Formats: sequence, structure tokens, C-alpha cells
Amino acid sequence: MALSADRVGALLEGVQRRRRVLLSPEGVPLEIQVAGHGERLGALALDLVFMLGAVVILFLLLIFYLFAGVGGSVGRTLFLFLAFVIRVLYFAHFELAWQGRTPGKKICGLRVINRQGGDLTPSAVIARNLTREVEVFLPLTLFLSLGAGENGWQDWALFGWLLMIASLPLWNRDHLRAGDLIGGTQVIAMPRRVLLADLSREEAGRFTFTPEQLALYGAFELQVLEEFLRRPPGPETDRLLDEVSRKIRRKIGWSGPVETREARRFLTEFYSAERADLERGQLFGKFRADKKEAADRRPGKKN
Amino acid sequence: MSPDLQERAPAGAARHLGPARAEGRPALTLRSAEFRKGRESAWRRLDDMVGRIEGRGFDSLSAEEVQELPLLYRAAMSSLSVARNILLDRNLLLYLENLCLRAYLAVYGPRLGLGRTFLRFLSHDFPRAVRALRPHLLAVTVALLAGTLAGYLLVHSDPHYFSLIVPESLAGSRGPESSAEDLIRTELFAPWPGFVETFVIFANSLFRHNTLVGLLSFGLGFALGLPTVLLVAYNGLIMGAFLALHAELGLAVDFLGWLSIHGVTEILAVLLCGAAGLRVAEKIIFPGDLPRLDSLALYGRRAASVAAGAVILFFIAGFLEGGFRPLISQTAGRYAVALVTAAAWLFYFTRLGREADHGAER
Repeated sequence: MALSADRVGALLEGVQRRRRVLLSPEGVPLEIQVAGHGERLGALALDLVFMLGAVVILFLLLIFYLFAGVGGSVGRTLFLFLAFVIRVLYFAHFELAWQGRTPGKKICGLRVINRQGGDLTPSAVIARNLTREVEVFLPLTLFLSLGAGENGWQDWALFGWLLMIASLPLWNRDHLRAGDLIGGTQVIAMPRRVLLADLSREEAGRFTFTPEQLALYGAFELQVLEEFLRRPPGPETDRLLDEVSRKIRRKIGWSGPVETREARRFLTEFYSAERADLERGQLFGKFRADKKEAADRRPGKKN
Repeated sequence: MSPDLQERAPAGAARHLGPARAEGRPALTLRSAEFRKGRESAWRRLDDMVGRIEGRGFDSLSAEEVQELPLLYRAAMSSLSVARNILLDRNLLLYLENLCLRAYLAVYGPRLGLGRTFLRFLSHDFPRAVRALRPHLLAVTVALLAGTLAGYLLVHSDPHYFSLIVPESLAGSRGPESSAEDLIRTELFAPWPGFVETFVIFANSLFRHNTLVGLLSFGLGFALGLPTVLLVAYNGLIMGAFLALHAELGLAVDFLGWLSIHGVTEILAVLLCGAAGLRVAEKIIFPGDLPRLDSLALYGRRAASVAAGAVILFFIAGFLEGGFRPLISQTAGRYAVALVTAAAWLFYFTRLGREADHGAER
């Protein structure tokens, strides 16, 4: 199950994600991960940088190509108008055209989805981006002009109030901002995963394990072992694998010699055998989640 | 076709390991490896297609691929269901979870292009969404009129209120000290400065400014609506102040012509933004039968489309104000334009998109 995968991730990477379940029309529950605050802030910052970059490029283009031919004020107006279009349409355009992702979100592996699980409609995208004016741009401009204004406390009060609205994602469990509430959307983290080769070897190997030896571990340990074996090869990984194989050998009472350079091979074969054993158990309805569960079963076990 | 479509007869499940394995050293048989072998090519094809949809949309698929997509999608979904029960390979499990979610979002993702969406919005969704906001429109109209009346009465009673109500940037050189001569010469019937100056520069700056104000009054609906109403009423207050200023000098008729040539469109747009903001506020305070968040999501989306449509109105108003007003220097002509635009908007918002009103609504 996917939940045990979570345990492995939490152990190895310290990842503790907020997860929600989305039910597809086919009735298959799909797990989604709520995007973290840091990721979203990073994506926003990137997008703002891109917008600024686009405006600067526009400015330079206009200076070089247009100002010579047309009057300065026309060029300025053209610039202001296009900059305005970029400001209003940047987010909405990309979220519609790129399936809920702006350039910043794409880089950070984020995506906007419909919270209820339907399709992401254009009106939802427009709704969540119209409020950006109040949530992002207004506090930003106000903040930049805070010291300069003559009406001091009113500006501060307004700023505090807008800050409250802008900090909404911090106070709810799905990290929704005001635009998400109005648009019925949600931002999820969706890093793209790559399918790697299967680790298991079906052909007969050099090492043979008894059922008793294989009964000591459960699915959790198997998956941790898988992650170790999938690490990129190198002296660091070799040391780690050697250490792991020593631990496993001690635990299962392995008597034969295993040389250090054979550690990977030993572990791969142990992984295959252990997986075959666990799968066979599952077929008969005996699922071992981890070694604690395996230990609990042993005294009353028959085979 | 993938073997998942016949999932009920698992092919690789029959053989399994016997306890004799330890002595005879037979090769292992992993159900999971066979499961993967039979399906992997279908997953990879789906992965490739979804990747292209994510990058360049549905147009990047060929006709056969479009037909194949739902089959591959359902096969992958069924693989996932099985995999969750039998698979112990973490990488494969996570990959399948990820692939299915991506495929799901692609298959049920946005289908219409931007252009078609826009046309459909103009012909159906926008007028319909506006009709749904009648009570809110009434409320903001009352706020605007109350503001106008207050502004008029205040400045009428004491002209010095004018400088209190109208910010200096907006008033320019106009004020209680202005003579009728000044106003006619510099404001109401100022000489036409030329095409570029009016249609390009002035129209544009007006459009940008007004749009931001409009979007602000919508966005502030999220702050429970009170700021929206105040903003609209304040606009009315300024209008009333100007009206009183001109009325004192006997220029009320000319001023109203000067105002209404674009004002019909612009004020309508302000009211639409305000009404949309009020709708959001209403659904926060009174969510009705639905949970608060669901109700906000449902109605907020439609309200936002009204505010987005108002941007188009602001654009038109910008041209009317910046371009046509200086061009048409007779009050009668200005009233005519105002009447035509009023009739056009009335027709547009009451008659278009009707046929869909009785059908299923999205």
C-alpha cells in the first residue's frame, strides 16, 4: 500500500507530506500531496522574476526598435499597456495553457487542480488569479511605500489587514489562499517520477535462504533495502551496502562467508528472495508490514 | 490492448514457490515481475502521451493516440488498483501513483482552447453570470446613488467640501474657484489634441487605472464586502461633488453629457465588479446549504467571471472617454452615444445566452 511507502520516505528523507485523497470517476482513490509553503513562495518568487524579466525585455525592445520611429509618448504608452497585459494575464494564461502550471510552478513541481476533483475550468483559473491583485500586488506596493506616506497609522492598519488576507495559506490545512477559496482550486506538489528497472533477479543465484531466515523481515524493511540498492553506485554506497549486509547476516544468522565486494550481489539476491516470500504470503492473506509484525507472528507460526 | 482489461484472470498467479525451494534451488517466480512485464510498455506509452499533453496540449496527439488514450488510462488505473494490493516494489508503486494522477489530470483537464473559451464566455457565460447577480447589482447601484446624492448635497451646501472629497490628482485645476469659462474651455469642450494623444495614450491610461480599481473592488469582496461598498459609494461621492460644482455654474446638462458618453459603460463596469465582490462576501457570510468552502468555490468562480468581463467594459470605456469624448464636442452627440451604448448593454445583458438558462449549468 501507498501508506507503507510513506513510512519509507519519512525514514529515509524525513519527508512528512500532507496528503489528501481524490476520487477519480473510475472509483480509484488517488493520493495528492498538498504543496508546502516554501515551494509555493519559491514558485511565486520565480514567476515574479520572470514577469519582471519579460517587462524589462519589452522595455529594451521598445527602446531599440520603436522609439526611433514613433513619438516617445506613444512608445511609453505601448510599453505601459503591454506591461499591464503581462501583469494581469501572466498567471491566468499559463495556468490555462499549461494545465495549471506557470513557469515558476513547473520548475518547483507544483500544479493547480480543481479541489473537488473535476476539470480545471477557465473560470476557476481566472477567479484564483483576479484576487492575486489584492493578495500579492497590493500588499507589495503598500509595503514598498510604507515609510513614505504621510498618513502613517492608516497605512499600517491597511497593511496589517491585507497581510492577514495574504497569510491565509498559513492558517488552513490545505494551504489555500483567498484565490483558491474563490476559485475552488488547490495547489499540489507533483514531482515527476521515473520508472526504474526492476531490482529482483528470478534466475537462480549463489545464495540460498531458508523460509525461517526470510520470515524475519516485512514489507517496510524490504522497501528500505530497495531504496539502498537504488542509490547511485560509488564508494559511499558500497560502504553502506556492506554495513547493511553485515546487519542482515547477523540478524538472519547467516553462517557462510560473504566478501565485501559481494555485498551488492548478496543483498540483491536477498531482496529477490524476500520479495518472493512476502508476495507468496500475501497471496495467502498473510501480509507482514514490518519486522515487529514478523516477530509477533513467529511463536504461533506453523511452517 | 493491455492485460489489465482482463484483470480477473491473473495469469502469473498460478505458479508460486514451494517449500522445496531451499534444496533444489529453482529459479524464483515473482508475480510482481510478471505483472510488470505484461504492462510496462502500456505504461510507458501513456507516460509519453501524458508528457506531450502537459507540454503542448491535446493537439500534439495523433487521431489514433486520442482514441487510445482512454484505454491506456483505464488500464493504468486498473494496474494501480492491483499494484496497491500485490506490489512491494516501492519505485514501481510510486511511479504508478504518479502516472495515474498525471493521466487523470490530463484526461479530465481543460479541453477548449483559449479562443473558443473566450467566445463562449462572451456569448453565454458573461451575460448569464451578470443576470445571476441582479440583487447585488441593485445593492451597489443604491450605494453609488447614495454616494452621488451625498456628494451633491455636501458640495451644494458648502463648495469647500469639494476639495475634501475629490483628491487633488483627480480634481486637477478644477475647484470651487473655477469659473464657467474655465470649465468649458479646459474640461467640457477642450480642443481635440489629436488622434494619438486621445485614442492611444489617454484611453490607455484610463483603462489601466479603471481596471485596477475595478479588480480591487472585486478582490475586496473577500474582506466581507464592506470595503467594496465603500469604494463604490466613494466613486458616487466624487461624481456628486463634480455634478454640484458644475450645477452651480449652470453647466449641469453639458457635464452630464460629458460624463455619460463613457460613464454608462464605465460605471456599469464598476457596478459589475462591486456586485461580484458582494457575491463573494455574501457566500462567505451566508453559505446556504453547502459547506462554506464549497459554496464559495461554486459562486466565487461565476462572480470572478463577471469581474473579468468587466475588464472588457473598462477597455471600451477607455476608448469612449479618451478618444470619442474629445472628438465629439457637442453635448447632443454625446448623449446620443450614451443612449446607444446604454441600449447595447441592456440588450447584451438581458437577451444573450438565454437559451442555455434552462439547461444544465456548469
